[in-house]
Amino acid sequence: MAESAIASINFKAAALELLPEGANFEACLTCGLCSSGCPASGMENMDPRKFIRMALLGMDEELSTTPWIWCCTMCKRCQYVCPMSIDVSQLVFLARGNWPEDRKPAGIVRSCQLATSSDSTSAMGMPPADFVSVVEEVLEEVRATQPDFRHLQAPIDRRGAHFFVNQNSREPMNEPEEMVPLWKIFDVVGADWTYASKGWAAENFCMFSGNEDAWREVVRKRVDAVNQLGCEVWLNTECGHSYYSMWQGIERFGLEANFRLESIVTYYAQWIREGKLPVNSRWNTKGIKFTVQDPCMIVRKAYGDSIAEDMRFVVRTLVGEENFVDMQPNRSANYCCGGGGGFLQAGMTEHRRAYGKRKFDQIAATGAAYVLTPCHNCHSQMHDIGRFYGGHYGVVHLWTLICLSLGILGKNERIYLGPELRG
Amino acid sequence: MSANSSPTATTPEATTLETEVLIIGGGVTGAGIMRDLALRGIHSLLIDKRDLCAGASGGNHGLLHSGARYVSTDPDAATECRRENSLLKRLAPQCIETAGGLFVAVEGDDPEFAERFPALCQRAGIECEELSPGEARRLEPVLSEKLFKAYRVPDATIDPFHLAMLNVDHARLLNGSIYRPHTEVLGFEIAAGEIRAAICHDHLHQRQLTIRARQFVNAGGAWAMNIARLAACADVHLLYAKGTILVSNDRLAQRVINRLRPPGDGDILVPAGTVSLLGTTSTRVEDLEQVAPTAEEIDRNIREGAVMIPALAGARYIRAFSRVRPLLQTSGTTDRAATRGFALLDHASQGVSNFCTITGGKLTTFRLMAARTADLVARRLGNDQACVTATVPLPDDEASSWADPAAAPKRWHHDRDPDDMILCECEMVPQSAIEQVFANSPGIEKERTIDLIALRTRAGKGPCQGSFCGIRIGSYLYDQGYYRDATGLAHLRDFLDERFKGQRSVIWGPQAAQMELAEALHCGLLGLDTLKDE
Repeated sequence: MAESAIASINFKAAALELLPEGANFEACLTCGLCSSGCPASGMENMDPRKFIRMALLGMDEELSTTPWIWCCTMCKRCQYVCPMSIDVSQLVFLARGNWPEDRKPAGIVRSCQLATSSDSTSAMGMPPADFVSVVEEVLEEVRATQPDFRHLQAPIDRRGAHFFVNQNSREPMNEPEEMVPLWKIFDVVGADWTYASKGWAAENFCMFSGNEDAWREVVRKRVDAVNQLGCEVWLNTECGHSYYSMWQGIERFGLEANFRLESIVTYYAQWIREGKLPVNSRWNTKGIKFTVQDPCMIVRKAYGDSIAEDMRFVVRTLVGEENFVDMQPNRSANYCCGGGGGFLQAGMTEHRRAYGKRKFDQIAATGAAYVLTPCHNCHSQMHDIGRFYGGHYGVVHLWTLICLSLGILGKNERIYLGPELRG
Repeated sequence: MSANSSPTATTPEATTLETEVLIIGGGVTGAGIMRDLALRGIHSLLIDKRDLCAGASGGNHGLLHSGARYVSTDPDAATECRRENSLLKRLAPQCIETAGGLFVAVEGDDPEFAERFPALCQRAGIECEELSPGEARRLEPVLSEKLFKAYRVPDATIDPFHLAMLNVDHARLLNGSIYRPHTEVLGFEIAAGEIRAAICHDHLHQRQLTIRARQFVNAGGAWAMNIARLAACADVHLLYAKGTILVSNDRLAQRVINRLRPPGDGDILVPAGTVSLLGTTSTRVEDLEQVAPTAEEIDRNIREGAVMIPALAGARYIRAFSRVRPLLQTSGTTDRAATRGFALLDHASQGVSNFCTITGGKLTTFRLMAARTADLVARRLGNDQACVTATVPLPDDEASSWADPAAAPKRWHHDRDPDDMILCECEMVPQSAIEQVFANSPGIEKERTIDLIALRTRAGKGPCQGSFCGIRIGSYLYDQGYYRDATGLAHLRDFLDERFKGQRSVIWGPQAAQMELAEALHCGLLGLDTLKDE
């Protein structure tokens, strides 16, 4: 079958329309800070500055068809370091949406299709009934095997709960025991929470595919689900782009959301400060070193440095001040790991790993044994590049370490811990 | 390239050179004469005290007039333009973008003039099609809502640098004619009513050079009167009109846009590849050397231009330049009304029989000016071959096309060679361009410099105005061993000084941020401001 043609976008006109005055392509000083800090620089012979110049030089056909737009993870680091604050990612998004569906990376398209195909909005296509039964089964097993948690709760569709908690599909689909630490944390702090059978999933590959209609559809289902249950807070768990896609989706599509959006990371910090989560680093008797990965989607692209500080407070408390080593650069200036923007699902393994080399080097330079990150895509990518480049670090979620510190981490909840912490 | 035929020049090291015809002035006319003569089998040497198109040839709109601009003030010039326009579109398409042109009248312009315009065009044989204001604004959305009359004419744009280079290259390939930049005439040896030799200064090697020839052509443009006086010819009378043009950061309109009124300030916006040129002003000056844009001229251009295209008021400008146009002196007229025609003076009345001067005119008619001059020179040499530049197309040449706006990025993208590093990011000029330019510039082996590259490629012409590419090209030349001592730094400083001259009158908004960055790089990092001359 013949490939569909990619129509040409007038990028200069589009930039004028999308970007604010003074931060438009017109304002580019061609200084190259964007490119020098972009892990996708050089791929497909492109970089952010070339993108801007090509737009201004009228090379619309070349820009419309370059596969580089699938190597750019739309992490916005280029905009962050740009003295004129020029945002290239919006034009990359436009270019992605302009590719015919049959030319886009199939993995991203499929994940979007699955998300729109059920009320779960799960990118792995897990239907509501399956999610409910997995949660119930896992809960039953914990109650039966872990006496301390024989009354553990994992409510579903509970009206009026304070928190509407979302869930990345990876856990219920592939590693259901990884859901348990979070439930235990909610139990310890006495949180008033619920899952929902509809709109519970976190992922949104429709955004990555540049498909605005589908992005809107997924966010709309989630917003409806939260509104219906009358929850006050939509609590984003340890997944980066779910927060960004929901927050930006609501803004972009003008959806009516009768609730606040919050990230679990800020609550971890709050609960620790309030004494509700009595964690400490006394377990770390061997002085195991940890670093953190700042997910672009919640740090640079959403909250800014405040959430990065919260995360560091949580991690320092968990592992001990002296055992925390920051990556350089970090916080809002951190590099994308290369798992964002749908890269993990794009089937461009070689490109993705080349992109991730910068992250690998950053991690290696810390000498840390573990990277903590509240993001599934970061998690998978750092895990993969660690193995590929021969690293020796582990990648773990914050919930794992919190439960470890509290002494409530079950034996089968330690799959991402090394032998020294398997207990 | 094959070395060729009769009186060829001696080696570059010799202090005396010989040729059949010495052409003084490397503008488009001089380059055109060189090619025209070569096509008749006549060997020539072309010199310029600086380099190609250093005067008005390189300091204009790059507009290939349809002739419509002159229908009211100079019908003869209009007709000449119309003929040359269609000839060049056919013979030198590689230097031309057939952008088309609009003449537009806006509220406040004389409606009567606007009404008369089609008839004036018709009289000069120029196609002119009326468009409704709505249609004109659909074609060019930047046009003012206050537009009330619009006509479409066959204006086009032409790249003078590319054009001059191709003419020189063709002459070299035809019969080994030679071009020497940075060679200035200081005087002539005259005996028995004939010039025997031109005494020149070779600025590259800091030495005197004697050039012997049978015929001498003064194609000095604005400098023609001064050069003629060196041969004691007092019959060249020129007025000097300084014109200032602004360069915008990007291309604001697809077509040439002319104000539909008698020629005035800021009334033409011409696309040049990826940018637009707005101009021009016209101010009488006496000094040929110290011409730089003033803030007042910039303001005037923008004020006038914005009446026709409101976006010009807020556009980002990256550079402005001024050049002096030679106007043939006639009594009792204004500079705007002075003839844009040209003059060929044979100086027979001045006591020299082998010297002529060609001046005035305009870019559009350069071929015609070259033809008339070469006719005279050939006749004097007893060569009876007719001019063929009206029929022989200008051959293409890969190296020269680096001068073409927007050509470099296309080539770079097409080649997709990650090892061919981009040196100028704004215009996407890669390393390979530099090597091609060098290979195509024989005789300058010792002078592979930033300036040479800047003239023959788009390097330095984008928004950073050389801030980054100057350093990168300089570094590349050091890496390749072309520079070995502090000369490269001095060249870099001179190159940046030249770019700065163009920027200082347009430093506001984003361009001010650009300049801050440039200063940090050039003074803070490289310390070029404290560089001592050797």
